Amino acid sequence: MDALLDVRDLAVHYRTAAGPVRAVDGASFTVPAAGIVGLVGESGCGKSTLGRALMGVLPRAASIAAGSAVFEGRDLVTLAPAERRKLLWRRLAFVPQTAMNALDPVQRLSAQMQEVLVERGGLSRAAAGTRAAALFAMVGLEAGRLRDWPHQFSGGMRQRASIALALALNPALLIADEPVTALDVIVQRQILDVMRDLQARLGLAMILVTHDVAVVAYACDRVVVMYAGRVVESGPVRAVLEAPLHPYTMGLMNAFPDLERAGGELVPIEGAPPSLLNPPGGCRFAARCPFAEARCAQDPALVEHAPDHQVACWRAPEAPALRPLASEAATWAR
Amino acid sequence: MGALIAANDLVKAFPASRSLRDMMRGQRPVLRAVNGVSLEVAAGRALGIVGESGCGKTTTARLLLRLEEATSGSVLFEGQNVSALRGAALLPFRSRVQLVFQNPFDALNPRFTIRRSLAEPLRNFGVPPDQQEARIREAMGRVRLDPPEAYLDRHPHELSGGQLQRVVLARALVTHPRAIIADEPVSMLDVSVRAGVLNVLRRARDELQLAAIYISHDLALIRYVCEAVAVMYLGRIVESGPTAEVIAAPAHPYTRALVAAVPVPRVDQDRGDLPIRGGLPDQLNQPSGCAFRDRCPLAFARCAEEAPPLRAIAPGRHAACHLA
Repeated sequence: MDALLDVRDLAVHYRTAAGPVRAVDGASFTVPAAGIVGLVGESGCGKSTLGRALMGVLPRAASIAAGSAVFEGRDLVTLAPAERRKLLWRRLAFVPQTAMNALDPVQRLSAQMQEVLVERGGLSRAAAGTRAAALFAMVGLEAGRLRDWPHQFSGGMRQRASIALALALNPALLIADEPVTALDVIVQRQILDVMRDLQARLGLAMILVTHDVAVVAYACDRVVVMYAGRVVESGPVRAVLEAPLHPYTMGLMNAFPDLERAGGELVPIEGAPPSLLNPPGGCRFAARCPFAEARCAQDPALVEHAPDHQVACWRAPEAPALRPLASEAATWAR
Repeated sequence: MGALIAANDLVKAFPASRSLRDMMRGQRPVLRAVNGVSLEVAAGRALGIVGESGCGKTTTARLLLRLEEATSGSVLFEGQNVSALRGAALLPFRSRVQLVFQNPFDALNPRFTIRRSLAEPLRNFGVPPDQQEARIREAMGRVRLDPPEAYLDRHPHELSGGQLQRVVLARALVTHPRAIIADEPVSMLDVSVRAGVLNVLRRARDELQLAAIYISHDLALIRYVCEAVAVMYLGRIVESGPTAEVIAAPAHPYTRALVAAVPVPRVDQDRGDLPIRGGLPDQLNQPSGCAFRDRCPLAFARCAEEAPPLRAIAPGRHAACHLA
């Protein structure tokens, strides 16, 4: 199956007084035409920057330094800005972390819907009104609430409204940056259910940027694990979470408190991610990895280790033997 | 079991903003952020207070710390009612009950060295200067920042988030408290370092026999660090008991929804509909009777007439539900 989005060796640099910060430094992954892809990693791993680069909404100090992102046959990196703008909303839409950033606080929601549907989508005002009501219904909001102002909405309702807005013109790909991080757990679950339901009903593709492995396990079909600006592992959620090949993914799973699993110690990953101003050569996780060897000073490429399951680790063939070790705190202690 | 720190029927009412209609009627609406909360924690034990934003859990913590005056009710520390203490009389309580700040990135003065940040509370509580260095080193050892000299002369920006949160905990421990209260102690940290900080908190609690109260929205985290839990909804405790039992067999319908909503890091998990309706009601217009009945899938006539009191349902377990 052809990928809807094929990201190859993408690099995004931030200009700083001290030199370029390589926030994304050669990331590669694909997004199929349908399904939810979780882009997971810790703060500073480059996941949000990557999402914003794909949307063309990078902050001014950041720019794409290398690589390609081919979406529906066209490279978003080299596309003329005017062409790219035409894709926004229609083919490619964005849900930011705080819904307030997507919604204009001084406009009624109906006006914001009209703006997208009429000016971007070319609908008549009457058709736009019908469509707006249908979109609100899709995300579980009453059509009557279209007359409200954003401040009259709770956090969960705002996130529903910003998803409705993003879906206004039937995009093929929705990129959501930490859409549930700021929400309470019950509201978080309701929003994830809305996203899952819409994905299934509309058959579109979504990228869900998150730091939360449990959110990935709950909502996603595929997962891309990032560390220090690079993709270290990717594949179907079941394969990656149940039989991780990269020690970082193993560590992430063992560091996570599990509501249903009793007892046992959580296993922290000691140390901190490297500075991306002058990243170390070789494997970026080596300094924290209990399984690092001499060859890890060489950069491991992201390779297909099993069908549809990619990993960037020299020791991936030994993963079955490393996994039980990775679940013991003593392995990581130093 | 002697409680080290206890709350007795705490109420905190804030005047709410008035609408024009209220003003014309001469009414002054009151928002009860905390509405009759009682709890107790013994030395060496940890209690988790869990609930959604606006449930009153943070206000409860502030009342326990005497950072906020209760409208009614009392806080007992080592059997003494501390609610009436004022000014200098509060100092011993302040040194014995410490707050662990949520955000390590702004809990420490960026211009102070770590040593100075840790010395500050010692000076405030009158620890002689010649004893301060030993106390600081002891606290650094408790939070596993070894060797201390590798950190003490550095500034906050030179440390990682996990290290900073350990310094924040060390600053709470340096006064030799008997109780610590932590409001979302790891929510600002990355997953990979959270586990380390939680382990340090657990060990410090055991080694020093502290009474610990954790405030969090994260039930999985509470399960990891607290053997007992109190679930709050709209200012009240609706269920309490041993954490593992409450999670395995919630007695209150709200707890049931809360437990069902927490995602677990496994592919096979329940994705059924949540047993809850709607969203949080307006705190000023709560339904009659049980405050949860609007959202409860099991509500029946009695729930509208009569607010269920928090009552014992099994050894060590309490719930405020007519059906429990």
